[in-house]
Amino acid sequence: MIETLIKIFLFGAVVGGIWGLVASGFSLIFGVSRILNFAHGAAFVSSAFLAYALVNEGYSLYFAVLAGLMLAAVIGVVVYALTKPVREREVMVIIVTLAFALLVQQILLILFGDRGVSVEPFVKGVAEIGGVKVTHMRLLSFVLAIICLTALEVFITKTNLGKKVMATSQDSRAAMMVGIDIEKMFLLVMVLSSLLAGFAGILYAQIFAVNSEVSLRALIYAFAIVILGGLGSLRGSIAASFIVGYILVITITLLGARWSEFVMLLTIVAILVVKPTGLFGVEE
Amino acid sequence: MRHAKAVLTLLILVAAITALCAQPEKAEREKVIIGVIGPMAVPEGQAEEKAVKLAVEEINAQGGILGYKVEVVVGDTKLDSNTATSEFRRLATVENADVIIGGFSSGVMTAMMETMAETKTLFLADASSPSHAQKVEQNYEKYKYWFRVSQNNGSTFALDLADMVKFLRDSGYEVKKVYVIRDEHVWTDPVIEALKPLLEEMGVKIVKDVKIPRGYSEYEQLILEAENLNADLIMPILAISGTGDILVKQWATLKPNLLLAGHDLSAIDAEFYEKTNGMANYEIFIADGGALVTAPPTEKCREFVEAYKAKYGHYPESHQAYGAYDAVYLYKMVVEMAAENGEKDPFDPDVLVKYLERFNASNPVQLTRTIAFYDNHDLMWGDEYVRNWISQWQDGKQYIIYPPSVANGELKLPPWIQK
Repeated sequence: MIETLIKIFLFGAVVGGIWGLVASGFSLIFGVSRILNFAHGAAFVSSAFLAYALVNEGYSLYFAVLAGLMLAAVIGVVVYALTKPVREREVMVIIVTLAFALLVQQILLILFGDRGVSVEPFVKGVAEIGGVKVTHMRLLSFVLAIICLTALEVFITKTNLGKKVMATSQDSRAAMMVGIDIEKMFLLVMVLSSLLAGFAGILYAQIFAVNSEVSLRALIYAFAIVILGGLGSLRGSIAASFIVGYILVITITLLGARWSEFVMLLTIVAILVVKPTGLFGVEE
Repeated sequence: MRHAKAVLTLLILVAAITALCAQPEKAEREKVIIGVIGPMAVPEGQAEEKAVKLAVEEINAQGGILGYKVEVVVGDTKLDSNTATSEFRRLATVENADVIIGGFSSGVMTAMMETMAETKTLFLADASSPSHAQKVEQNYEKYKYWFRVSQNNGSTFALDLADMVKFLRDSGYEVKKVYVIRDEHVWTDPVIEALKPLLEEMGVKIVKDVKIPRGYSEYEQLILEAENLNADLIMPILAISGTGDILVKQWATLKPNLLLAGHDLSAIDAEFYEKTNGMANYEIFIADGGALVTAPPTEKCREFVEAYKAKYGHYPESHQAYGAYDAVYLYKMVVEMAAENGEKDPFDPDVLVKYLERFNASNPVQLTRTIAFYDNHDLMWGDEYVRNWISQWQDGKQYIIYPPSVANGELKLPPWIQK
């Protein structure tokens, strides 16, 4: 029994941490620029694919990871440039970002085929905690995810630049009137969010594996988590990521793998029926 | 004068029509058209198209079929039954394909078989559902144009998996408990139903049968559970999930005291070892389609994989390539046999069906694999024909480890196994 609880705690935390990185960026973009970025999953998988390719070419893992993150940042800039002219039209934003995501998916399909690829882990080996085997990479991923999410929280709430981001998020017109360059804020948030997604993708490819289809999966998870947490609420997204992680792991442990996503989505629907704005959302 | 001109015109017309009607059949034919159909956005369809084009290029270089140049026309099923039947009809009636090769995916194949029957087109096919061959059994005249060339009937997976367990036991690795992880998909149900009694006969128990959805990734929990249940091996039956690579990676990372041995479609990919950073080492799998790049069962197979690499820069991306390549040569052979026997039209599908049926248990044909057909036109299963060879990844190479008649390697247990 204790072993089962430890297993649920450890595995749920890792899954929650990785999805937290993806969902927090997705939420940040929506909060600041009111954009539903359907290309968010493209940054998630592209960084991992590039890191994989570079490691295979003989480059060091850390250089490959850095290059993967750079690519994710570039994707953020491209999405910013693509959405800038149509930002006021929500449907167009969805169409443009979705089209870009599908384009990236097709490029990856052509370059790497439809089979999954793995990135070499930062650390190897297995630890035993309370009788439960867990890989060092899983533990490190959780720690790295927590560091990134804490740094994001500190950046948003404590730094001058972060406060400008928050101000833009709360009221972009008012922020503009007090002299904040909101275009710079939009660009910053887009790049930052893509970096978080890119890093999550690399961690994911180190523990699991990525294929071009995973971009859509990452998007669906991010979307579901952000809606559960409350659209635009950063803390809500992070909390919801862990809730989703634990629902998945508990379901696999108690009901079976086949029910994991079904139960997760059912729970999200049930919560939204009771609280339509999500757990931490506020009515506008 | 006007009457004379009209009569002359009429005579010329009559003469022209008579001359056209009098043309022998052979003179009408200018070429042989081979259709290839499959999902062209995925490796299975792409491999079929490339393999057919390679075979046709070789055949044309040797003078074609009965002296006719061979041309290839391509149809894309997009893995959708409606699109597939439209494309099949286009190839058969607009492009006038003499034979259609390929298919892939059982549901799509079932739909295409109706168009095949309607257009009476010879179909040298892919896909593994037992229901396709049953159609030939139940309504021979309608469905006789269908022959399964690429891979065995899916029900034979159970025989291969049971043989795998038997082989492991005979090799000194005791198997008493098996933990099954399989696709949440209709194709795995008949496999597990057929496998259970075979394992029971050997005194082997399935300690848990876990179904997983497409894209599933949390295998570590399942591996730990299998170890806690004292399973001797995890048996994947995975094709649709698309995440066999994650399973093998997590198995190799956790190093549990049990083997990973079963049907994992992703393990057949020649680049699987590289894509998993070598984690695929020691995985035991069955070589669906009866051929492996590093263990070609025939000389023609060896030549084919090298020719494929020379032409396309990489080895076949899917086992469908072997079947598609064989199908072109099979077609050439039966047309030539029909011509030699003085058949009036050696390209007539009704005639060719009879010649294809001659390749039976006692008269197989050796191409990239050794091909023979059952009475219901299913591909013959067995050590001497085509079967899903029991294979293993060892230090970056795939080896067939059973049966001994084709094996080019021996079983190697992972160093962390203590039994």
